[in-house]
Order: sequence, then C-alpha cells, then structure tokens
Amino acid sequence: MRMLNSILYDSVYHSAPILLCVLGGIFAYKANVLNIALEGIMLAGAFVSVLVGYFTGNLLLAYLAAIMVCLLLGLLFSAMSVSLKGNVIVVGLAINMVVPAIAAFIMQYMGVATINVSWLSVADLKWNIPLIQDIPVLGPILSGHPPITYISFLFIAVMSVLMYKTRFGVHARVVGENEDAALSLGLKTNRYKYIAILLGAFCCALAGVNLSLERMGLYTNNMTAGRGFIAIAAIYCGRGDPVSSSLYAIIFGIARALAVNMGLFAGPTAALIDVIPYVVMAVVLTVVSAVKRKNSMTRGF
Amino acid sequence: MKGKGFAVKLINTILPVLLAFSIGGILILVTGENPFEVYGIMFGKSLFTSKGFGNTLHYAAPLILTGLAIAITFKANIFNMGVQGQLMFGGFFAGIAGAYITGMSSLPHQLLCFAVGALCGVAFAMIPALLRAYFKVDEMVVTLTFNYAMIKVLEYLSSGPFREQGSGYVCTPTIQGSAMFTRLGDSRLTGFFFVALALFAVMWIVMKKSSLGYQVTAIGQNPEFAEATGMRVRRKILLLMAISGALAGIAGAGYMMSEEFKYTLTFSGSPGLGWDGMLIALLGRHSPVGILIASIFYSALKTGADNINMYTNVPKEVVAVIQGLMILFLAVRFLDERYDLKSRIRTLRKPAEEDMEK
Repeated sequence: MRMLNSILYDSVYHSAPILLCVLGGIFAYKANVLNIALEGIMLAGAFVSVLVGYFTGNLLLAYLAAIMVCLLLGLLFSAMSVSLKGNVIVVGLAINMVVPAIAAFIMQYMGVATINVSWLSVADLKWNIPLIQDIPVLGPILSGHPPITYISFLFIAVMSVLMYKTRFGVHARVVGENEDAALSLGLKTNRYKYIAILLGAFCCALAGVNLSLERMGLYTNNMTAGRGFIAIAAIYCGRGDPVSSSLYAIIFGIARALAVNMGLFAGPTAALIDVIPYVVMAVVLTVVSAVKRKNSMTRGF
Repeated sequence: MKGKGFAVKLINTILPVLLAFSIGGILILVTGENPFEVYGIMFGKSLFTSKGFGNTLHYAAPLILTGLAIAITFKANIFNMGVQGQLMFGGFFAGIAGAYITGMSSLPHQLLCFAVGALCGVAFAMIPALLRAYFKVDEMVVTLTFNYAMIKVLEYLSSGPFREQGSGYVCTPTIQGSAMFTRLGDSRLTGFFFVALALFAVMWIVMKKSSLGYQVTAIGQNPEFAEATGMRVRRKILLLMAISGALAGIAGAGYMMSEEFKYTLTFSGSPGLGWDGMLIALLGRHSPVGILIASIFYSALKTGADNINMYTNVPKEVVAVIQGLMILFLAVRFLDERYDLKSRIRTLRKPAEEDMEK
C-alpha cells in the first residue's frame, strides 16, 4: 500500500515536466514546426533558474530569469527556422547541443560539478492543498507537490481551450494544415509560428524550473535526460490533441515512477520499465499509421 | 557552372564555422585569455605535431563512419536519427563478443567483432525501417526516441547480466587482447582508421559511381516518381537503413576495439559519436569527400580540446559550444541544398488528411 501510494505520487511528480513540454509543443506541432529543441530549452530553464537562485537568493528572480532565457531561445529557434528558413531539425539539434555545452562551460569555470541552492529548502516549496490533503487515499497523492506541478495539470484544460476555442488556436492549426490557404486569408503565418514556438518555450521553462529548482534545488548537467524527446513521442502519439497527448505524457510519467520505485527491489531490471513507453509509442504510431494507410486510396510505395 | 556552385558551397560551409569560432572567441575573452593563442594551441597540437595528428586521425575514424551513415540516408530524404543508438548497440555487443569469446587469433576475432557490431546496428535500424517501409511510420520520430530506449536497455545489460563483478563502477568485462587493435607508433592511431578509410572508399563508390547512389538521389527528390519509374522504393529504404545501421554498428565496434575496450555508461562520450556524425554530414554537405575532411577537422577540434585544458585556463567545454554553434549556423544555409526537410515534414503529415478528403 505504501509502495502503491509512492508510485502514484511519483507518477504525478514525474508526469509534470513531460506534460508541460507536451502542452508547449503541441502548438508548434499543429503549426507544422517540429520543435525538437524542447529538450534543450527545458535544460536551459533548469540551469538558469538554479544559477540565478544560487547567486541572487531570490526565488522570484530565478523563475523569471529562467522564463526570460527560454523565451530568448525560443526566439532564436523561430528566427533561425521560420524567418531565415533554416532546417528545423538541425536548428533544434543545435540548441540541444549548445545549452548543455554552455552550462558545462559555466560550471567548469565556477569549478563545480553540480550547482546546489543551499539556502532553499525544497520541502517549503511543496504546497498542501487544504481540503484535498485530508481525503484518505487521494490526499497524499494529489497534495504536497510544488506549484508548477499543479500548473502543469491545470494547463491541460487551459491549452485545450486555447487550441479549440480561441481565434489563436484555430489560426495556428490552419497555418499548419494549409499554409497557402492561411496566407490567402491574410493570416500572418510566420507570426503564428513564432507565437506557437514561444508558447512552447514558456512551458519548457516551467518544466525545467520544476525539474531542477522546485524538486531538488540543484542542477546537474543533462538532468533532463531525454524528457523532451519523450514529449515529442507523446505529441506524435496524440497527434497534437491536448488531452490525448497529455494522456501519453502521463503514461510516460507512470512508467518512470514504476521504474524508480521498482528499482529498489528489482535492481537493474527496473531500467527496462523505462523502455516500455517507447515500445508503446512505436506500437501506437504504427497502428495509427496502418489505419490511415488502409483508408488511403492513393498510389504510394 | 560547377565551379561557381562549388564556391558558393564552400562559402556557405566556411562562414558558419568562422561565425561559431568568433562567438567561441568572445567566450574565451570573457575568461581572460587570448582567443588566438587558445585556437593556436588547439590546432597546433592536434594538427601539426605527429602525435597529435595521429590522435586526430584516430578519433576521426568512427566519425567518418557515422558521418557516412547519416549522409546516405539523408540524401534519400530518410532520416536515420538513430545512428547514436545503433552505434552504442553495435559497440556493446562487439565488446561482449570481444570479451567472452576466447582463444581466437587476432584477425578473425576482430572481424567477428566487426560482424557482430554491424549486425546489431542493422538489427536496430531495421525496426524503424520496417515501420517506415510498410506502415509509413515517421522514421525520424521513431529513430530519435529509440536512442533513449537503447541507453536504458544497455544500462540494464551492463549493470545486470554482463556486469564486470570486480569493478567498482558499472562496466562490462574488458575485451580479450586478440580483439584489441594495437597502436601504431606513439599516438593512439590504430588499424581501425584504415578500416574506416577502406569503408570510406567503398561508400564513395556506392554514392558516386553506383546505380544505387543515383537512385538514392532520385528517391530523395521524389519518392512517388521514383516508384512510378520502377524503382522499388520500399526495398531501397530498407537497404539504405541497413547500410546506415551497419556503418554505425561498425563505428561502435571499432571504437570499442581501438579506444574503450569495455562498455561503460559514458561509452562514446557526450553528446556521442552518432550525434557528431550529424554535424559532420552537415559540414561535409553529404558528399563523401566532404565528410572525410569534416571528420578530420572535427576530430582536430576534439583532440585540441584536451590540449586547451592542459595549456590554458579556458574550460574545454568551449569546444562543445563552438560545435553546437556550428550546427546552428550551418542549419540556415542548409536550405540552399536540395534536401528540404521542412517541406518533407509537411508532406509526411499531409497525405493522411488529403486522402480523407478524397
């Protein structure tokens, strides 16, 4: 029971950053810009928040700085890929490489392997929600998370509304579905792509802060460990729909929680649990694609 | 006309490199050193001393192979982003074959390890290739994410069944002496470099002189048309992915036998030889000779980085920053070439919706 509880709590805990990346990435996906820089931008958020927190001792400043830097990276990504028409995949890869390199450079210069925000007590950042925490079983699972974890789940609803009920969401999808049509309607397609990417960068910033500052108060390099790519897999599986993509993100989160908790008993075998989501992803993509192909009448190869 | 195109290409390639080095220079200035001096030490030691140049060639060997592995698929507009995973998988099992099989003489043992590495690379590349060829699953996403699955699988294998028990950290047993490449001279250069060169020659012929090379370009430009003219695109996709996987696997096996000798969790370093191959393919403009030059240049950067640490106070991570920036700036010029990724992504996602309308 104790174990089950801790698995469930960890599922929420591990889902949050992936969820944020997914929710940030879907708009770019719908606007037809594959943003594989999610990973790098998230890492930048994690790094900057801890670095600023370490030097200034101001939590708010740390959050803001992380968001600022990530938005700048988003701007760089958009400028290179949308305005200058660079190859999106390559630009994304480059950002994924530059961020850890700069972080490593700065940490090497400081002479440390991890940055530890010692003044911060992580337990203080956990919010207990007054009524919910008293519910017998669910309470300890749903309550006692840092603020961004709550925000991430809240964002599922926010992003659904933004995507389907607002002018921005509709236009962003039109841009992705048929750019020429969007242009002929007088939509500024590049502007929508920029906004979609920046929205993603903002969410990734939150994911990064959640991962490093809020949970552990420290930064080690490459601590995002491929979560950005997991998010891309989830987005593809859910075809960019906020709710179904989020569901896949949560599946990945649960697998992570299982792997971590089983690791205490099963030893190295637990690492294999981390593989399950990738297999699930491949199967889902195949099924989706196979169904699509069955209904397709055009000549192909 | 060819001359003019070449000049444009050359400028397009060199400009991003210079830009990246300029920004790197600013970073070096911030740390209070003279960038020219630092770059001088870096290239002086890695290119103009015999030992350094030997090391540079040594580290270039796997990069030539991963660069080719990426170029051959990218040219056909198939995106094998899983070279890193294929390399690690091939390297791991080459290491296992090298460690557990005893009593063989050197040459057959090494050949066996290469074969195991190549087979593993092919096997791992076949999953996304089959999905792509028969179900039209986007191979880019599958290969990209499977790299991380592979890291986890190898983490399990190296810390579970194949762990070297006596060791204080997670690693597999060291390979037998018969599977190791011996160093030639005082640098780290081994016979593996010449294996890589031989494969390079083969790939040059394949890409430049064979009908396959021509078909690769045709498929890259328009797969439907290529199919309509009688090329078996599906079969070609499988073949190209197999070649790519084999090259990656051989690169991993060679790196295992000439440098690492056992699998550790940091095998192939950070960000990894497969990812480096991506930059090399870009830098070399997907042409075999370009890739050869690019790998040696890139390897000189890598070996130079160690000298930076030794002779100056600049953190050697500055080289990683420069590498990343190079990719960033190369991306923008990339569209001048024929391989238009952006429109490809559009067409990949589009067919379904268009089909439904019909």
